[in-house]
Amino acid sequence: MIGARALRRALVAISAALLPAGAPAAPLPERFTGAPPAEFAQALEVRPFVFPRDHGPHPEFRQEWWYVTGNLDATSGERFGFELTFFRFALAPPLAGDAPPASSAWRTRTLYMAHFAVTDVARGRFRFMQKLSREALGLAGAHSAPLRVWIDDWSLAQAAVAAGAGWTLQAAQPGYEIELTLEPRGAPVLNGEAGLSRKSDEPSAASYYYSIPRLDVRGRLLRDGRPLEVRGAAWLDREWGSGALGARQAGWDWFALQLDDGSALMFYALRDRDGRRDPHSAGTWTPAQAGADAHPLASADVAIDVTGEWRNARGERYPAGWRLQVPQLALDVSVRPVLADQELATTPRYWEGAVDVAGQRAGRSVRGRGYVELVGYAQER
Amino acid sequence: MNVLHAASLRHLLRHPAQLLLALVGLVLGVGTIVAVDIATASARRAFELSLEAVNGAATHQIAGPPGGIDERLYVGLRTRPRAPGEPLLRFAPVVSGYATVGERVLQLIGIDPLASAELDGAGATDAPGFAVHGVREARAWFTDPGTVVMSSATARELGIGADGRFELAIGGVHHPATVMARSDDAGAGFAGLIVTDIAQAQEWLGARGRLSRIDVRVPDGTPGAALLAQLAAQLPAGVTLQATRAAARETFAMTDAFTTNLRAMSLLALLVGTLLIYGAMSFAVLQRRTIIAVLRALGATRREVLMMVLSEAAVLGVAGAVGGALLGLLIGRGLVGLVAQTINDLYFVVAVSEVSVPPGILVTAVAAGLGTALVAALLPALEVATGAPQLALARSVLERRALHVAGRLALASLLLALGAGAAIAASSRSLLAGFVALFLLLLSVAAVTPAALRALALAVARLGARVSPVVRLACVDIAASLSRTGVAIAALGMALAAMIGVAIMVESFRESLREWLIQTMRADVYVSAPGVSDSLERRLDPEVVRALLAVPGIRAHSEGRRVTVSSSGGPLDLNAVGLAPASYAGFRFTQGDPARAWPQFVRGDVLISEPLAWRLSLAPYDRLTLITDSGPRSFTVAGVYREYGNDRGEVLMDLAQYRRWWSDDGIAALGIYLVPTASAAQMVSALRAATHGRQALLIRSNADLRALSMRIFERTFVITRVLYWLAAGVAAVGLLSALLAWELERTRELALLRTLGLTPAATALLVLAQTTFMGLAALLAAIPAGLLTSLVLTEVINRRAFGWHIDLHLQPAQFTNALWLALAAALAAGLYPAWRSARLALAGGLREE
Repeated sequence: MIGARALRRALVAISAALLPAGAPAAPLPERFTGAPPAEFAQALEVRPFVFPRDHGPHPEFRQEWWYVTGNLDATSGERFGFELTFFRFALAPPLAGDAPPASSAWRTRTLYMAHFAVTDVARGRFRFMQKLSREALGLAGAHSAPLRVWIDDWSLAQAAVAAGAGWTLQAAQPGYEIELTLEPRGAPVLNGEAGLSRKSDEPSAASYYYSIPRLDVRGRLLRDGRPLEVRGAAWLDREWGSGALGARQAGWDWFALQLDDGSALMFYALRDRDGRRDPHSAGTWTPAQAGADAHPLASADVAIDVTGEWRNARGERYPAGWRLQVPQLALDVSVRPVLADQELATTPRYWEGAVDVAGQRAGRSVRGRGYVELVGYAQER
Repeated sequence: MNVLHAASLRHLLRHPAQLLLALVGLVLGVGTIVAVDIATASARRAFELSLEAVNGAATHQIAGPPGGIDERLYVGLRTRPRAPGEPLLRFAPVVSGYATVGERVLQLIGIDPLASAELDGAGATDAPGFAVHGVREARAWFTDPGTVVMSSATARELGIGADGRFELAIGGVHHPATVMARSDDAGAGFAGLIVTDIAQAQEWLGARGRLSRIDVRVPDGTPGAALLAQLAAQLPAGVTLQATRAAARETFAMTDAFTTNLRAMSLLALLVGTLLIYGAMSFAVLQRRTIIAVLRALGATRREVLMMVLSEAAVLGVAGAVGGALLGLLIGRGLVGLVAQTINDLYFVVAVSEVSVPPGILVTAVAAGLGTALVAALLPALEVATGAPQLALARSVLERRALHVAGRLALASLLLALGAGAAIAASSRSLLAGFVALFLLLLSVAAVTPAALRALALAVARLGARVSPVVRLACVDIAASLSRTGVAIAALGMALAAMIGVAIMVESFRESLREWLIQTMRADVYVSAPGVSDSLERRLDPEVVRALLAVPGIRAHSEGRRVTVSSSGGPLDLNAVGLAPASYAGFRFTQGDPARAWPQFVRGDVLISEPLAWRLSLAPYDRLTLITDSGPRSFTVAGVYREYGNDRGEVLMDLAQYRRWWSDDGIAALGIYLVPTASAAQMVSALRAATHGRQALLIRSNADLRALSMRIFERTFVITRVLYWLAAGVAAVGLLSALLAWELERTRELALLRTLGLTPAATALLVLAQTTFMGLAALLAAIPAGLLTSLVLTEVINRRAFGWHIDLHLQPAQFTNALWLALAAALAAGLYPAWRSARLALAGGLREE
């Protein structure tokens, strides 16, 4: 017998509580419906973004995450996908002033969670691991100048204090390890209204949200202890806020597609409990040309048809193939998972996987790669 | 059914009382064994479960010096960069200690729930029932001071109300706490456990920056040995890596001597039971000598007769086993509490909330019951099967043979006693050999008792003949009834000897302890932080110490700190003391010269107590390696002193030396010497006032503390008493059964006496006098044997189990219990036959011939 169920339950409660909500990268909206606690700062108005400062943590907000996904090619010709995500979740706002001198160094009000997943296309394997830790004693945390966010030996860091400085990623799970260097291929792109992303009519259900849609990746991936040289492209999402999704919202489908003409498309389709698209669904188009401005996409701008389906071992259905049409961009592409099972059986369960893109853009054939996140399809037990 | 079995069944049905009593004896014997098994297994299981309650999937643990491990080691293990391809070890920190709620001591465990969940593999992958919990609980756990979780049962026992608020005390300081979650299905491991966040535990226990241990889980299927060696190499000096099972075994092994003694006591009850079955079977065979002879004459083979008797015994054995198992379950429930109490008093805190029945218990019971019955029946079965059919018909032959046997048994007794001596001589350390000797000795007592009874009866007959022919008759009658009563008397003699032996041992121990307490406890007033004896949080607040020592009237003081340290021979209790000049005389050396040893002690040598010297086979000038904060260091043993407080033994070290090798400047106890004019009672109040309520301390006068020590001592011997009364009970039942049968068979004889003019009252008196005589005869045989037994118990068993010397103390009170038992059993056994013989219908009684 492993311990007692009571404790286990409490533990699971705590890990479940860690899961942020209210924005695409954050699964399980049910957990945080309603108004955010008043003691946290709110994402209510457009604010100026300053880099590299805003790469770092914003502890006055309740939740925050650093989300990196990417597609990699090994020199051996094998293809991989990876996801490395760090979540910060404040249980209570930071205390004003210093902690009482009698306090244990383990005292904390902030928890961190990280997910690391690898899609090994050639071997048809998808592996993931979760870490949870408290912000204490250097076990987990985030700081800026330069940015570093970590749990144990997993980390996401910037090499120098500069807006465009490169990033390094490090993570290991049984069977797979990554040591990657990321060079941004452009400035951060502000999503929504100049970085203020509203998720429902409820004003508090909003967050600050920016992306770096393309970073060049190089480094090593170790499979079963054997190193492989890899190169590829990654996507970075950053978001923070204190709110939650609207009460009727059940989940979302998030697309982050990098086309081989250099452009990138991000779109999240929020779903209500009846499976209908929520009008607050939105996205951002980042054109290829340097200097050309990214521009927001509204729900009505993007049509999505599901073309495939996948069921997990529990029989729950996920969409597994889409046709995306954006008439104003003359874009019509199909999106297919490189592997059917890229579900993370964490709490909550969600699907986050590497995809291939193929279709037409302005009458010309276009291909690409990307990541898709599907939340709210699996029942929590 | 063949005629043999029919005859057998018929006989048993016609003599139900006799059968029942034999069965009761067996059931009691088997029941005692089963009960002790259940009680010790329950304590062990509770202990294991409490270890598994948190981080149950851990395979190893990193443990350190008494002050715990620096928490930065844990951070380093988690965050250090790993070599490529290095397997992932999981780590979870634990801070543990003890908290008192009301009168009850509970284990307080501080965990990092996130690390524990990861270690146990729960992670977030399976999430039963989390819907009832959520952010609120997580927030409470991490941010509300005093948040704990516990099982519903524990919360109920502590009387915690619906709001979850209660108060706990640690080291005499009270803290408010709130139960955030209580579980109905927490499992037994959570009994008596308070779980809180690691931060809270550190703050409460005063262990900031320290961890009690780091649990490690090596993933399944990894090449563990190399990995562990690599991990061990990264650990700083003084910190060790050990398999979790081994660590648990080591801890529970502390109770080995105690549980072995319990088991031996329970075997005694079964041994008495064996004799009873032997008696009952012999008797059952005797009663059927006619029918068996007839059956033999009619062609039943020896084998068939043998099998008939043995299968009766087997039926009896199985019935006894089943009954014993059931009774054992009942008694076991009662014993669990006693065993747990003793373990808590002597070894470690464990809350036994469930009776756990070891899986093999039915096998044990059947083996004990069946084995006992078969072994006991073998002799009478062989006797009846090998005897010639004609001879079996004559009763006088049987009595003559019994007489013969008594003589031979006396010889056997001598041999058994010699065997006991040989067993003791064969090995100077083996506890098993000690118990073998003890049992041989008791058997020897049993063997000699019938002969003693006969000799005594004949002697009294000769003397009594002058007084009255009835006395003579009564005594000769007893001497001539050995075939019926011999075994029961033997069993009683054995039980009485054991009883006397244990009583002398306990009393001698008590006296030795009392003398030792008087000698050792020299200070007038003792101050200590409440809590479990060697727990780290048990420390006096330095401010409070200053305030206490400033109280006027103090002449001198000793300081003490008791901790558990690692050594090459497992964990050892270390008693670090800064002694007042008057305290030195409190140590009585059994080896080594005090004049040389004390100066060496101050310079860094250690003294060890008798039990430790025995356990680790250490003598003066030997070296003992302890794991200090800066790694292993070997200390010279300067001397061995007498100590009864700790059966595992302890190392005595100068406090200054302890602080030099271990970074721990706490003090757990003060011994205060007063100026001649001060009174202890006034000083106790003055000291209490001086603490200003900062810390609730135990402040006791010398006399109070001594009384308390004696009370704890008495409590730890309760279970021994319970067991010997069980053995005595078996013997009493046996005597009852044998005397009853004998008297019932004498109906004709008594009827004859009545017709010859004996009044009903006189007949009744005669019967009672006879049974009383037998009881006293057994007691007489048991007294010297009991003395011998007590010698074996103190000089062999206690010495080998615990290593301490007990001075023998003899007092009349030690024999009175045995006297009462002998009288009570004999009288009880005589009452019914006496009543019956007085009301005898003469014609019917005579017609039996």
